[in-house]
Amino acid sequence: MTTGQRSSRPGRRAVLLSACGLAAGAAAASAGWAMSTSSAAPPGPAVISPGEDLMREHGVLKRVLLCYREMTARIQAGGPLDAADLHAAALIIHDYIEGFHEGLEEGYVFPRLVRAGRLTATVSTLLVQHARGRVITQFLLRAATARQVADPGARAQIAAAMQAFDRMYEPHEAREDTVVFPAFRQVVPAGELADLGWHFADLEHQQFGTDEFTAMVARVASIEHNLGIYDLAQFTPQVTQYTPPA
Amino acid sequence: MRRSRRSDQGRHLGGPPRTRLALLSAMVVLFTCGCGGSPSSGSGTGGMAAGVQASGARTVTVRARPVPHLGKVLVNSQGYVLYVFAPDGHRAVTCTAACLGSWPPLMLPSGGTLAAGAGVDSMLLGSDPDPEVGRVVTYNNWPLYTYAGDVAPGQASGQDIDLNGGEWYVIRPSGQPLIPGS
Repeated sequence: MTTGQRSSRPGRRAVLLSACGLAAGAAAASAGWAMSTSSAAPPGPAVISPGEDLMREHGVLKRVLLCYREMTARIQAGGPLDAADLHAAALIIHDYIEGFHEGLEEGYVFPRLVRAGRLTATVSTLLVQHARGRVITQFLLRAATARQVADPGARAQIAAAMQAFDRMYEPHEAREDTVVFPAFRQVVPAGELADLGWHFADLEHQQFGTDEFTAMVARVASIEHNLGIYDLAQFTPQVTQYTPPA
Repeated sequence: MRRSRRSDQGRHLGGPPRTRLALLSAMVVLFTCGCGGSPSSGSGTGGMAAGVQASGARTVTVRARPVPHLGKVLVNSQGYVLYVFAPDGHRAVTCTAACLGSWPPLMLPSGGTLAAGAGVDSMLLGSDPDPEVGRVVTYNNWPLYTYAGDVAPGQASGQDIDLNGGEWYVIRPSGQPLIPGS
C-alpha cells in the first residue's frame, strides 16, 4: 500500500459527513468519493474487508481458546503448567483481542447495528461478555506466576477461569461471525465498508507494527508448540470404526 | 499507576498517515456519540450511547450518584458511570483510536456549556481538546470517559480494569480517582 493510493481516499470532512449523514451534501460527497475510488484507484494490494479482518482476528482468539482448553486439561489431570505459557496466552487476549479487536467492534460494528435498529439485544449481550472476559483475563494475568500455578487451590481457580472464558467466547465469536458481521455488512454502504477496511488495517499497523497479524499468529503458535498441540495432524481421527458394516 | 507494556508500543511507529488514523478515531467518536444526533439511549448499549448527554444537547451535565460497592461517583446525565484513564496523567486525553471504541469520551459539543449536578463541584469541571476531534469534558483535569461494557446506568464494570494501555477508575465528586488500596 502506497501513500499515493491512500491519497485517493476521501477527505476528512467527507468521511465524517457521510458517516453521520448529517447533510444532504454529505451523501453527495460520499457518493462522489465512492465513485472516484472505485474507478480511479490504482492497482495494488486489496485490503481485506472489515468483516474478514475481524474474523481472522477471531482465528487468533480461537487458537488461544484451544490453548486454554489444553492447559485446563493438564491442570485437571494433575499435570504441570508453565506459568509463562499461561501468561503469554492471556497477554495475546489482553493486548490483541480485548485491547484492539473488541475496540473495533465496540467503536464501529455494534454502534452501526444499534443505530440501524438491528440485533440490539445481541449487541448488549456481546458488550457484557466483553466486559466479563476482561475481568477473567485480568485474573489470569495476575495468576500466571510459578507460585500460583503450583498451588492446588489457585490451579483450580485458574482452570475454572479458563473454562468459563472458553465457554463464553466459543458461542460469542461464532455468533459474531455468522450473524453480527453479516448484518454489519448489510447496514454499511459498500464504499464506506471498503474505507473501513483501510482504517482497520492502518490502525492495526499503528498499534502493533508491521506484519502484525503474522506476528500474532507466530506468538500463539509458539504457545501451541510448548503445549504440544501445534501439529495439526495429531487431531485427525482414525475412522476405521466408522466403516459401515458389510 | 502502572501501565501495560503494550501501551506505548506502536504509537511512535512511522506507519500509516496520521490523518487516516485521525479519521478513524473521529469516526469512532461520532459513531459512539451519535454524531450529535439521537443517542441510542434506550438500546441497552450504554457505552455506545453514553458519550453524549442527549439528542442535540448543548449543555453537558455531570452528576454524582451512588453505585453499589463503590459509593458516590461521577456519572453523565443518563446515569452512566464516568471513568478516568491513568495514562492521561491528570491532564490530557491519551485514549485514541481503538481505545475510543471501548471508552467513548464525554464530549463537549461545539459551543456547548458544562453544568454541575448535585454533589459535583462546578469549579472542577472543564474540557480538553481531543486529539482527534472536538473537546472532552474533564473533572479536576481528568478527561472523562464512559465504558462500552456498562450497558445500563449505574453499572461500573470498567472499574480497576487494565485495558488499552493502562488502568481505568471511577472518579469521586472530590476529583480523586477511586484507586483500590490507595
